[in-house]
Amino acid sequence: MYKQYKNAILSILAMIEMELRRLRHDPLEIIARAIQPILWITVFGVVMARVRVFLSIGDYITFITPGVILQSSTFIALAYGISLVFERDLGILKKLITSPIPRSSIVIGRILAGGIRASTQYIIVLISAIAVGAKIVSNPINLLLGYALLVYGCMGFTSLSMILAITMKTRERFMGIIGAITMPLFFASNALYPIDIMPGAIKYFAIVNPLTYIVDILRKLLIYNSCEVFNDIIVVTIFVACTTVVAIKILNKIVE
Amino acid sequence: MVLAIEVRGLVKIYPGGIKALNGVDLDVDEGIIYALLGPNGAGKTTLIRIITTQLRQTDGYVKVFGHDTSTQGSNVRSLIGYVPQEMSLWSDLTGYENMLIYSKIYGIPSNSRKKIIEELLEFMDLREASNRMVRIYSGGMIRRLEIAIALMHRPRLLVLDEPTIGLDPAARRLVWGKITEYCKEYNMTIFFATHYMDEADRYANYIALMNRGIIIARGKPEELKQNVEGDRITLKLSSIDDNISILNIFSEIEGITILKTDGDTIEFSTSNVSYTLPKILEKLFQNNLKIYEIKIHEATLDDVFIKLTGRRLSEEEYGRYREAITMRKMIRRGS
Ligand SMILES: Nc1ncnc2c1ncn2[C@@H]1O[C@H](COP(=O)(O)OP(=O)(O)O)[C@@H](O)[C@H]1O
Ligand SMILES: [Mg+2]
Repeated sequence: MYKQYKNAILSILAMIEMELRRLRHDPLEIIARAIQPILWITVFGVVMARVRVFLSIGDYITFITPGVILQSSTFIALAYGISLVFERDLGILKKLITSPIPRSSIVIGRILAGGIRASTQYIIVLISAIAVGAKIVSNPINLLLGYALLVYGCMGFTSLSMILAITMKTRERFMGIIGAITMPLFFASNALYPIDIMPGAIKYFAIVNPLTYIVDILRKLLIYNSCEVFNDIIVVTIFVACTTVVAIKILNKIVE
Repeated sequence: MVLAIEVRGLVKIYPGGIKALNGVDLDVDEGIIYALLGPNGAGKTTLIRIITTQLRQTDGYVKVFGHDTSTQGSNVRSLIGYVPQEMSLWSDLTGYENMLIYSKIYGIPSNSRKKIIEELLEFMDLREASNRMVRIYSGGMIRRLEIAIALMHRPRLLVLDEPTIGLDPAARRLVWGKITEYCKEYNMTIFFATHYMDEADRYANYIALMNRGIIIARGKPEELKQNVEGDRITLKLSSIDDNISILNIFSEIEGITILKTDGDTIEFSTSNVSYTLPKILEKLFQNNLKIYEIKIHEATLDDVFIKLTGRRLSEEEYGRYREAITMRKMIRRGS
């Protein structure tokens, strides 16, 4: 029993290592994906701060930094699912399910790998935000905790992406759906403005949008130097757990 | 002695209602190379996927070294090495990294990992290429690396699904050279699916011919070929005035069956060319008949297949070609 857990954990670590090695060989995607958030902060953020649209918010650049981190990480996480579907067409998935590790650890390993890939945006966006004057806490515990919780949240979006990739079946349809949901997820959340100024329907969507809670976590940890993130973590956990369970179920079905 | 693979009454109906296996029985003895030969769509991959615990059967059972695949899947998985029909490598990692990641997934102890990987890379002639991206590997290198990965945990049974699909003849020979060499050294059992009859003929000790979800014949390659009439010979002769006299000449020779006469050409079969042919030549010479052309067609597994099903094994040359293209595309596209 103990040995089984150990093997499952080692195989999950191996999949994370695989992802990190891939990143090292080809960091281009990450760099290319960093351009947009940098523009959000250095152009949109700076301009909006100057026109002072949201009076309730003190420093706008600082305010949107966590939101922009999430926007760009979620993009990557949501695009990640396609790689698993490619592996179904290729033999990797077939090979993995004949290895001695449990099937669930294949999914968990890949989800975690996707979360880590997505969270690379954390550092890039934080540095560019600080460069244009965002005031981010320097407490290393908060910074690390923020990173870990970002990976955690992105795991949910990676699972979601795998579920979509599997049910959409073709690459084109998958890309279409992903394109259609990423922007609304971003705009209908507290990433760019506080929830209370939103109109009714959008407000409700923002409240059930898991992105909102991850942004909230980062805002508390990185800006307000507060660790009252327990409630947010519960919501994010529900999101991650549900999507992961569905992804495991669906994976079992597609290999049949 | 326990069988490496025991398959009984195996039926698989896919969710869409396609009956891919329709009552398959197989016994694979330990230590042999066993080929599953059949055209595209015969059900080979389906059978292999049930043996390797990826799929559940609709009926019947499969045991691998005595372990039932549906109830003792994890025991089975630790005993087998498997190379799927499609490529199973991360093309944006190097060959070495692919082996490293899979060795961790397979739980190879860290103290022996490096040694095992290096030995296998050396054995497969991949040491030099091991730090290059798999993306730029040739099809043969990809297959050799995949086989190396399948061997890392020293499986007792190696299962290969179309191991040489889309490879050129030289690459195919190299892949098979490595497989047989390893097999001899470690007394491993090999079970492979193919639609190349020459490959089954040359490398397998035992062959099961499969068509439309059932096994239609099985035996050693020579035994299977004895089922058909034997070798075929076609002779083109000088001016034939009277067909009947020719037929008379031939009917005097023992051990041949005349299949066809067409003008100056005669086709017949014999169980032993090397013995009958000299006799025939002598006879023709005595009768002042000149031979313009001799064609000898030795019996192949294709003949066996035609006899049993009325179809050629490798009818769909186009399909095969397309598969090769798809394979190469997949490799290039990467994941
Ligand atoms: N996942 C699947 N779902 C439905 N039908 C399938 C599936 N896989 C294979 N088949 C069908 O089962 C039959 C046998 O296929 P397969 O086992 O792949 O044959 P082979 O490997 O000999 O070419 C074919 O008719 C094929 O279309
Ligand atoms: Mg097949």
